[in-house]
Amino acid sequence: MAFDSALAWRGRVLRGVIILVFAIIVLNLGVLMIVRHDQYKAQALDNRQVSFRMRAPRGRILDRLGATIADNRFYADITISPGSLKEGRPDSTLDRLLTWFSLPRAETLADLTKQKERGRGRLVLVPDASMARIAAVEERRADLPGVQVESRLVRRYLFGQLFAHLVGYVGEVDQDEIDKAPPEMDYKQRDFIGKQGVEAAFEKTLRGKPGLKLEEVNASGRIVGRESVWLQPVVAGEDLRLSVSVPLQMEMSRLLAGRPGCGIAIAIPSGEVLAAASSPTFDPNIMLASLSEKDWRALADDPAKPFFNRILQATYPPGSLYKAITSLAALRAGVIDTSSVLAPCSGGYRFGSRVFRCWNHGGHGSLNLTGALAHSCDVYYYQVGLKLDIDTLHDAAVAFGLGDDCTGVFREESGGNVPTSAWYNERLGKGGWNRSVLLNNAIGQGELLVTPLQMALLAARIASDGRVTGPVFVHGGAPPKELPPLPFSRQDLAWCRHALRRVVDAGTGGAARAAGVPVAGKTGTAQNPHGDDHAWFMCFAPAHNPEVAVAVILENAGHGGSQAAPVAGEWLKFYFEHGPDGQVLPDTTAAPDTTGGVS
Amino acid sequence: MTRLAALLPRGDRRVLVVYALLLLTSLAILWSVTEPLRGPYNLTEADVHKGVFWRQVLWVAIGWCAMAGTARLPLRHLANLAWPGYAVTVLLLLVVLVAAPEVAGARRWIPIGPFRLQPSEFGKLACIVLLASFLSSRANPRSPARTAGTALVLILVPMMLVMREPDLGTSLCYLAIWLGMVFWYGISGLFLLTAGSLVASAVIMFYSESVAAIAWPWGIYLLLLMGVLYLSRLSMLTSVLVLVLNLVSGLGIPLIWDHFESYQQSRILTFFDPSRDATGTGYQAIQSRVAIGSGGLFGTHYLQGTQKGLAFLPERHTDFIFSVVGEELGLVGALLLLAMFLVLILQAVEIALTVRRPFTSLMAVGIASYFAFHIVVNVSITTGLMPVTGLPLPLVSYGGSNILVSSLMVGLLLNISGRQYDA
Repeated sequence: MAFDSALAWRGRVLRGVIILVFAIIVLNLGVLMIVRHDQYKAQALDNRQVSFRMRAPRGRILDRLGATIADNRFYADITISPGSLKEGRPDSTLDRLLTWFSLPRAETLADLTKQKERGRGRLVLVPDASMARIAAVEERRADLPGVQVESRLVRRYLFGQLFAHLVGYVGEVDQDEIDKAPPEMDYKQRDFIGKQGVEAAFEKTLRGKPGLKLEEVNASGRIVGRESVWLQPVVAGEDLRLSVSVPLQMEMSRLLAGRPGCGIAIAIPSGEVLAAASSPTFDPNIMLASLSEKDWRALADDPAKPFFNRILQATYPPGSLYKAITSLAALRAGVIDTSSVLAPCSGGYRFGSRVFRCWNHGGHGSLNLTGALAHSCDVYYYQVGLKLDIDTLHDAAVAFGLGDDCTGVFREESGGNVPTSAWYNERLGKGGWNRSVLLNNAIGQGELLVTPLQMALLAARIASDGRVTGPVFVHGGAPPKELPPLPFSRQDLAWCRHALRRVVDAGTGGAARAAGVPVAGKTGTAQNPHGDDHAWFMCFAPAHNPEVAVAVILENAGHGGSQAAPVAGEWLKFYFEHGPDGQVLPDTTAAPDTTGGVS
Repeated sequence: MTRLAALLPRGDRRVLVVYALLLLTSLAILWSVTEPLRGPYNLTEADVHKGVFWRQVLWVAIGWCAMAGTARLPLRHLANLAWPGYAVTVLLLLVVLVAAPEVAGARRWIPIGPFRLQPSEFGKLACIVLLASFLSSRANPRSPARTAGTALVLILVPMMLVMREPDLGTSLCYLAIWLGMVFWYGISGLFLLTAGSLVASAVIMFYSESVAAIAWPWGIYLLLLMGVLYLSRLSMLTSVLVLVLNLVSGLGIPLIWDHFESYQQSRILTFFDPSRDATGTGYQAIQSRVAIGSGGLFGTHYLQGTQKGLAFLPERHTDFIFSVVGEELGLVGALLLLAMFLVLILQAVEIALTVRRPFTSLMAVGIASYFAFHIVVNVSITTGLMPVTGLPLPLVSYGGSNILVSSLMVGLLLNISGRQYDA
């Protein structure tokens, strides 16, 4: 048979082919296991080693005595993978969880479907889960594929709405903030970032630095390694001890009584802000909780604007508070002295074809500078303004910190506006304006705009001969932005303090005498084109040896003397009863307000 | 001692020893696969359940009995069973296609109680017996090529049925068995070389151009072909003719291919490689190479392979068990395993050479082809030389059909070798 003849030859060929193929396989194995061994070994290591990013706990925010204003709490969501929503079978993981936690089936499924449509990665089944539920899930890990407990630390504001505007709040970082931040800050999705107030201004101090930890995982991503390696340690955020005092802040907040306005107190000579309350306010804890659309609208659409920061974001015309600046500018320029008596006030002043009215329509008669300031006579200051030029007035205002951000660290801060001749030229054209603007500027109206913080600083700088160089927010700290020494003579400043005391003792600011110590201050009634006048008051006390300066504004409240001055007076009374740290807490305000917090 | 030896089946001792060693290797590797990873890990159990190991112990015991039984069967009547066996195979394959439940997109198994029968595995044995019977009955033919063609038709029937399951790897095994046996039967070497090289040229060009988008494997193939032609001591004219035909078939493929619309191309590619669309086949191939490559010379040591133990390596107890050997036992372990397989295959060829009856000789070559195809393709898949398609490593991978059919083959081989001086 054909079978026998060439069998030996075929045997050789068959063996040859088999050995050749095996040789190719062995050669390939050699390449994989010897030549490229290092590469594959590294790849195997890379497979199982995963670096985990650990967020740093955010530093606490404390008051000047160490009371906690903001800290962090443990927060955990029980999440499921989006895929587990598909399997609605009774024995599915999702179904078992629904039964265990006795969650309303239809509503929960509808909520999960909504989350899925919004395209979030993992679906939150139980937000802010209790420890019992977390433990229940962790115990049965193996039987619950796709279920995770995602925990993190979340900000908690212990005093609720008391410090809403000063301290601000944090929120999850958005893409814009990630792009704008310097790379060393290393923000990632779902990190928290200070959005407003101190939280934003002192972000670098408070945030700390996220760490990187190398863990060994299995193919499904579960950590199985017994040891982990820190590539980069977690640096906890530093605690920030603010200069504000909880009791002093509470008193200020109580006196504002929810009326739109603001009250600020600055210690002399440190410049430390002891209280800064903006009213009405809101609970910053809601920024971290799921607020219903309706509740959110109610806050956002409130005409009293609770989110508006009236401490350093809102700007108002300074009104008669500005007369202190006008006086000092005129004295420095030498156009008048303190005893100069100008044309008597009969309730109005004619400039060109227009009559500029004094607030006192009956007229003040003849006054010297001290009297004019004490009684806030507009007609007197119209005449002083005309003796000056707009840039001289501007320079005096800027020396007190007006016309620009006075801290430079707050995201929401406004600089206000102090016009110069160049500013008018630009706005109205050269020759498009005349000296009548001086009349408005001299009494703090016209295009002038200031923040309440700037007015508190004005009072503090007058009181301290300029030793207060800027507002300080951190206990024992320095002003973030320091103003140069005041360009006014000591005599002029001493005269100013004397005249301001006259305002309280014998002038428009009598209501501030409630303080129980001698107070020097200035009332203001800022004309407001959009509605009723704003009531201003700035002051410092004790008048002879000032410890503290206060500025109060109440929007659309009318006269500063009758509306704003009593708030400042009552607050000063509290201050001098309890001292700068406000150690003695009245019973009514002893319990921290956490009712609005996330429970 | 002699009494104990008497309990062992007669036949080639080397085949028996290698068979026993391979089964022990299988148990050792499956023990590792089902043990938690050793090292600094908080693991109490492996993702592949221990039950897999114990079931394999059962299959090894059953396989050994099947092997011993087959080795003692009288071979006289086996040829009479060739056609009935073939008919049953085709019937079962039809049943699979029509009635079997779909598992992971394929119909391959008939559930019988707690077990699953894979007719395509047993079909290989039936086809070996049938081809041996058919070809040996036509010893001394007038036209060997025609006999080979008829044999191809016989093998194509079950092969196409298996391809429809779909199971490309197993169906190609039928072709490998046919090729080996027809070569042994006496088809002209030149005919085989020409036909085989034309198919190889087209396949290599198709694979490298349209699947891997590279051209050099075809160039290497041509160089190899030239070497084979030179060694074959063929005339210059014949050699050049074969080479030209190879050029035509290789270069023709891209021309034809480009005439297809892209959706047609996609359909063809998916037909040849059903797993092409499934996500994760690339992942399997990569993780297998990483496992083997990270093993190095001596491996990560037994029970300590992280690719295996942390479940990065897929199908580590079945189709990718060779990667576990590579990772944990290194090049040394892999070479030892390959050496055992090589001994098994070469011994089968040796037996085919020594037995005098064409029927048994052809069966031995069929068995050699079966083992060679499975081992070469499986190892090539795990090392990235071939695209991923499901194919177990004989006698080592977990699975009843695999152990049982391979044991029957070994038993048959021992049976044949034990009667080598029979008429």
